[in-house]
Amino acid sequence: MAQAVAVTAPRGGVRQHPAARVLLYAVTRLVALLTAVVVGVYLTILVANMGGYVDQIKRAEIREQVALAVSLNEQMQRLPADVRERVAEQMIRNEERRLGLDRPFLSRSVGYLRDALLLRLGFAERMTSDTGSRLVRQIILDRLPATLLLFLSAQLLLFFASVAAALALSRRYGSPADRLVVALAPTSAAPAWFYGIFLILVFAAGLRWLPFGGMVDAPPPEGKLAYAASVLKHMVLPLASLALSSIFLSVYAWRTFFLIFSSEDYVELARAKGLPGRLVERRYILRPALPTILTSFALGLIGAWTGAIVLETVFNWPGLGRALYQAVGLYDTPVIVGSTILYAYLLAVTVFALDIVYAVVDPRVKVGLGGER
Amino acid sequence: MAPLLRVEELRLYFRTAAGPVRAVDGVYLEVGRGRTVAVLGESGCGKTSLARAILRLLPRNVAHYSGRVLLDGEDLMDLPEEQFRQEVRWVRLSLVPQAAMNSLNPVLRVGDQVAEPLWLHGRVRRPEEARDHVAEALRRVGVPTEFADRYPFELSGGMRQRVAIAMALVLRPQLVVLDEPTSALDVLTQANLLNLLKTLRWELGTSFLLITHDVATASELADDVALMYAGQIVEFGPAERFLTEPTHPYAQALRASVVGLREERAPQPLPGRPPSLLNPPAGCRFAERCPARFDPCGQAPPLVPVEGGGRVMCWLYTQEASHAR
Repeated sequence: MAQAVAVTAPRGGVRQHPAARVLLYAVTRLVALLTAVVVGVYLTILVANMGGYVDQIKRAEIREQVALAVSLNEQMQRLPADVRERVAEQMIRNEERRLGLDRPFLSRSVGYLRDALLLRLGFAERMTSDTGSRLVRQIILDRLPATLLLFLSAQLLLFFASVAAALALSRRYGSPADRLVVALAPTSAAPAWFYGIFLILVFAAGLRWLPFGGMVDAPPPEGKLAYAASVLKHMVLPLASLALSSIFLSVYAWRTFFLIFSSEDYVELARAKGLPGRLVERRYILRPALPTILTSFALGLIGAWTGAIVLETVFNWPGLGRALYQAVGLYDTPVIVGSTILYAYLLAVTVFALDIVYAVVDPRVKVGLGGER
Repeated sequence: MAPLLRVEELRLYFRTAAGPVRAVDGVYLEVGRGRTVAVLGESGCGKTSLARAILRLLPRNVAHYSGRVLLDGEDLMDLPEEQFRQEVRWVRLSLVPQAAMNSLNPVLRVGDQVAEPLWLHGRVRRPEEARDHVAEALRRVGVPTEFADRYPFELSGGMRQRVAIAMALVLRPQLVVLDEPTSALDVLTQANLLNLLKTLRWELGTSFLLITHDVATASELADDVALMYAGQIVEFGPAERFLTEPTHPYAQALRASVVGLREERAPQPLPGRPPSLLNPPAGCRFAERCPARFDPCGQAPPLVPVEGGGRVMCWLYTQEASHAR
C-alpha cells in the first residue's frame, strides 16, 4: 500500500527541484482529498434529506400544525370558512418560505453544501444544545468533550494494550495464551453495547459497585478532584465494554501482523547477527511496520470523534453519538450534516498528514507523482 | 589438528500437523581450517535446516534439537542462549542468506546494517570508526563505498548480495555459512559472485560452509563436498574425488545426471523421489532408488571411512558387502 504512493528510482531521468516536486504533490493530494470531502458531504446531505423526501414530511407537518393552530384559535373560528381557508394557506406558504421549502430541494442542496464546506453550520431546526442554544456548532461543542473523553481514552488504552500484548504473543507463538486469544477473537463479533448491558446487569444492578450510566453523580460533587473521581467511576463500565468488544480481535490481528513481519529474512539475519531480542523487535519488526501501525493509530483516533450511538444510549452518556441519534429521529438535517462535515475534514487532514508521515518514516516512499521516472 | 567445525549426531525435527519432520537426522560433518565445504543436496533434503541447526537459528516449530556442534573444540550446544548470542553469533559464525530480495532491512541504510555487528560487539566506539570499517568491508566485496548511504531497495540484487557478504565478513568470523548465496540471481551475476567468493577465500583464509543444490557451484568453490540425502550426509570427502569418482550410489547417480563440459554422453536421469522426511525408511534412505541394493540395506548403514579421506554411509563398503559377494 505504501509503495503505491510512488516508488521511484533514485537515479536517472529528468528531475524537478525537490521542493517544487513536494509542493506539486501536496497540492494534488489536497485537491483529491477536498474532492472526496465534497462528494462525501454532498452524499450526506442527500441521505440526511432522504433525497428531498424530508421536504414532503416537513410540508405535511406544517400543514398539520397550521390546521391545529387555526382550529384552536377562537378568532379564526369566527371568520367565514373561505377567508379562514385563505389565511391558513397564507400561513402555510409563509412557513414554507421561512424554511426554504418554496424552492426545489436540489437547488437548496447546493447552498447547504456551500455552508457545510465553509463550516457555517447554522441553526438546528428542532434540537437545542444542552446549554439551550439552537446553534449547530453549540450542539456539537456541548457534546464533543464527553465523547472525546470516553472514546479517546478507550482508543489509546486499546491501541497500546493490544500492540504490547500482540508483540508479547508473537514471541510466544502457539503458547496457551496465544491459543486463548485466537479462540476468543470471535467474541468481538458482538458490539460494545451488548457487553455494556451485561456489565450494567452485573456491576451496577447486581453488585451495585458502579453507577448505571451518566457521566457524573447528580448533583455533581464539589471540588475538581471529587468531580474527576466521579467521572472516572462513570467511565469504568463504558470503557470496559469497549475494551471487551474489541481487545481480543485487535490483539489477534496485531499478533498475526507481527508474526508476518517477523518471518522476513532480514529478521532472521538480525538474530544471526547477534542482536538482542528487544532490538530485533524494535529495529527489524516495529520499524519496518511503522507506516501500518501509524495509520491504524491515526484512523482509530479520529474514529473517536463520532462517538457511538447505541453505546452512549445504553450508558446514558451525554456524547455526540446520542445527539446524532436524536437528530436522525427529528430529521434535523443541519445537525447531521454538521457532525459529518467535522468528521470529513478531520479524516481528510489525517490522511494528508499520514501521506507526509509515510515519506518521513519509510525511505521507500518518495514523494512524487510517479511522473518522475 | 582438530577441524575448525565438527558436527556430530546433529538432529533437528520440526513439528507439523502431519507429525515430526526429521529435516536433519544424525548429521556428521567437518570443516577444516581455511577450507570450503559444500553441502550438496536436492531441494527438501534438509540442507537449509542443517545450516539453521549449526547457527542455532531455529524456527518456532522445533520439535527436537540435539547433537554436538564443536567449533574449535568447544561444544556450542552447551552454551546458554545469551552467551551464544554474545560470543558466537557473528563473532565466530556468520551467515550469508539466500540472495532473496529481503535479506536486508528495507528501512535502514545499507552502511548502518553492515556496521551494526561492529557496534553490537564493541568493535567500534565512534561513528567515524564504524564508517571506516564499513568502507573497507564494502571495498573488499567490490561495492562502491558511497553505497553505504543507500537503502537496500536502491541496490541491484547482485549488489545487495555483495553487501550481505561484506556484512558477514565484517567481524572476520572463523566460519561463514553461505546459504544458496547465488540462487535467485541471473547467471552473469552468479558468475561474478562466485569469482568474488573465490577471491575472498584466498585473501582471508576464512572457512566457508556452502549450502547449495547446484553441482556446478559446488565444484567451483568447494575443497570438500558433503552430499546430503533425506536429512543425512551420505558421503563426505574431497571435492576432487566426489566429482571424478563418487563413492555412494546416490553420488554416482547424481554425477551421471550432470554432463561435464568435455563429456560426450547423454545425462542419465535419476528415477524416483527422495523419501518423505515425515516417515523415513528404517534402513538406508536411498535403498528404494539404489541400483546396488542388497540384503543389509534394510538396516541403517554405518559411516565407513574411504581411502583418500572422508566417509560414506553405505553398506557396500563394509565387511558385510565383501561377505555377500
